[in-house]
Amino acid sequence: MSTTTTRAHAASAASAASAPRTPRRGSAHSRSETPATLMRVYQLLLTALVLGAWEILGRAGIIDTFFFSLPSAIGEAVWDWIVTGFIFPHLWITLQEALYAFIIGTGLGLVLGFLLARVRFLERLFEPFVQMFNALPRVVLAPIFLLWFGLGIESKVAFGVTLVFFIVFFNVLQGVKSVDKVLLDNARMLGATERHLIQHVVLPSALTWIFSSLHISVGFAIVGAVVGEYLGAAAGVGYVIAQAQGVFDTEGVFAGMFILMIVVLFVDLGVNRIERYLLRWRPVPGA
Amino acid sequence: MTSTETAHVPAVQLDACTKEFVTPQGGSYFAVKGIDLTVMPGKFVSIVGPTGCGKSTVLNMAAGLMAPSEGEARSFGAPVVGVNRRASYMFQQDALLPWKTVLDNVSLGLIMRGVGKKEAAAEARRWLAKVGLSNFEDRYPHQLSGGMRKRTSIAQAWIVNPDILLMDEPFSALDVQTRQIMENELLDIWQESGKAVIFITHDLDEAIALSDEVVLLSAGPASHVVARYDITLPRPRNLLEIRDDPRFVELHREIWGRLRDEVAKTYAAKAA
Repeated sequence: MSTTTTRAHAASAASAASAPRTPRRGSAHSRSETPATLMRVYQLLLTALVLGAWEILGRAGIIDTFFFSLPSAIGEAVWDWIVTGFIFPHLWITLQEALYAFIIGTGLGLVLGFLLARVRFLERLFEPFVQMFNALPRVVLAPIFLLWFGLGIESKVAFGVTLVFFIVFFNVLQGVKSVDKVLLDNARMLGATERHLIQHVVLPSALTWIFSSLHISVGFAIVGAVVGEYLGAAAGVGYVIAQAQGVFDTEGVFAGMFILMIVVLFVDLGVNRIERYLLRWRPVPGA
Repeated sequence: MTSTETAHVPAVQLDACTKEFVTPQGGSYFAVKGIDLTVMPGKFVSIVGPTGCGKSTVLNMAAGLMAPSEGEARSFGAPVVGVNRRASYMFQQDALLPWKTVLDNVSLGLIMRGVGKKEAAAEARRWLAKVGLSNFEDRYPHQLSGGMRKRTSIAQAWIVNPDILLMDEPFSALDVQTRQIMENELLDIWQESGKAVIFITHDLDEAIALSDEVVLLSAGPASHVVARYDITLPRPRNLLEIRDDPRFVELHREIWGRLRDEVAKTYAAKAA
């Protein structure tokens, strides 16, 4: 099975969440490698170095703080947003939008992917249309969704759904179609009905494909929410960033970016956990 | 499904079975042509032949996974329509569900037949003890060795108490030692189980050592039965020593003489 390879359809222009994950280190080849804790120290040093250089160059006037702000000022802005509680309602809105987009997009992708994979006629009928909509740069849909659904969270959810849907859809389509024939035959010989086949063989097999695209679809759900907010909204982190940009508040823009970054990082860690649990039956690569 | 009521009716009977495939170029290709095969209940029959001679096709027709293009496949007197409900199948490849534990894999057949979860698990544990995997019920297939996976497959196939066992080179991927151990275990379980076995192999030693009858298929395409040999070696057999038995040596020489011709034909066809 080729479940470890990145899916073809999945990531083209994705978010940070879809960056290729570093393979977990096996214990076998740790002899010449830097220990993980030491590597953490190096990483912290590198961060301090970059931020420190940025700060010094900014204060010395070599970097224009109007465009690049100062790390200390950005940190202050973030801190301010957190202690005053200003950012939390916005963050909550963004996460809600992402969550709904994720659930609806995944649901639709699952159902339609499954249907098209099982019914050859439908697959052939819809193929060109699916390709067309997938080829469409999704950002251009945002204005029309704003017109249809207004400035509230519905338009962002709709936008996120169009992003998430295709990832899940293609993975399910591929997953269902690439079920190992021997597994199906074996289950049939053991007395499986069509329903049994789907329950014990087809769905679990397709789920591995869906889970392996989980990172990407979660990332896309958040991208959808933020970009949607940025283009027109009354609340949300994307809205906050757009507002800051509108008044040339570079610190605000950077602070919004920073907060999103941290949040997505935590979401990704959560996804990692879920994935590890659900795919626990899979061999660990390199083990 | 007792086997006494049908002791004189063949467990599997193929009557002049032919399987034709349509090639992508629109032509046709005969995998097997006019195969006759009769397997009585309680008999262990091996099918040997050169590679590509349609051995698996024969098994698939008996299993009902493939319908013959011509001729008829019958099982206990009834035509095989769809999957043969009285047969279990052990595939050459790994056919365990990788997302299920050993226990869940073994109990799957019972669960799908509507047996309660607890009861199915208890029966599965009994079978795992029988194949020596009691301590591995919570493992996933990838955590097992090749031999352990085969044992799990045996338990999975036998737990539903089939009247027929179809085995497609089940041990071909194993190393020689593991293979002999597995063959011994298979004979132990099969002995006096009253089940009919069709065993496919390209290993003539294995075929003679295990079987009551060895059926030799010709080189493909359009392969057919060229000869049958009754293996009258007494049972129970000690597989570790049987290869030195003079009758074994005699049978081996006789069958190999014929098989060699077919193998030579296969290579000649490939070279041409």
